[in-house]
Amino acid sequence: MILGRVVGEVWATKKHAALDGRKLLVIEPYLWYAPSHEVAHLVAVDAVGAGIGEDVVVCMGDPARRSLGTTSMPIEAAVCAIVDRIELADDRGARALTFVGGDEPEHDSI
Amino acid sequence: MIRGRVIGEVWATRKAPGLTGRRMLLVGVDGQDRAMVAIDTLDAREGEAVMVSVGSGARNVLAPGPDNRALLCDAAISLIVDGEG
Repeated sequence: MILGRVVGEVWATKKHAALDGRKLLVIEPYLWYAPSHEVAHLVAVDAVGAGIGEDVVVCMGDPARRSLGTTSMPIEAAVCAIVDRIELADDRGARALTFVGGDEPEHDSI
Repeated sequence: MIRGRVIGEVWATRKAPGLTGRRMLLVGVDGQDRAMVAIDTLDAREGEAVMVSVGSGARNVLAPGPDNRALLCDAAISLIVDGEG
């Protein structure tokens, strides 16, 4: 999964039948392991009732596509958790964590 | 599987069904400056070296079997590394 922030919502009248009644959120990723394309935003279907401004965990790929209904949906990302708090170690060894776009999520140090 | 190290934890009250009660850890990927969020079933601790199953197979770490398709999980810690030769 990846960490990101909800920055918008997409409404559409004409859409694939499997997307009927689904909320589509625009996510700005903080942390994105192995992105399939380098983009600033992604669109994820909402499974937990997230809103704009909230930090979320986004599930990518096949689990996102299959998990929300009986049919496979034409999506590759689904919001699976709304973040209350992030703890991040100060001591990350030699690893310098790169946040997409340079913005860090608010976090506590451990 | 992908090797990494636990560098943090994500706390969430509102989660998709099937993830309730599961810990979510931040795992820094070895050799990369990126990290992923992975579900933990093994009680991994900060600083520990772990292996993360990614993709569809991650669901089998939480709930093995054909009925686990409802799980919204694409990364799960499947082992904690004790040592390697």
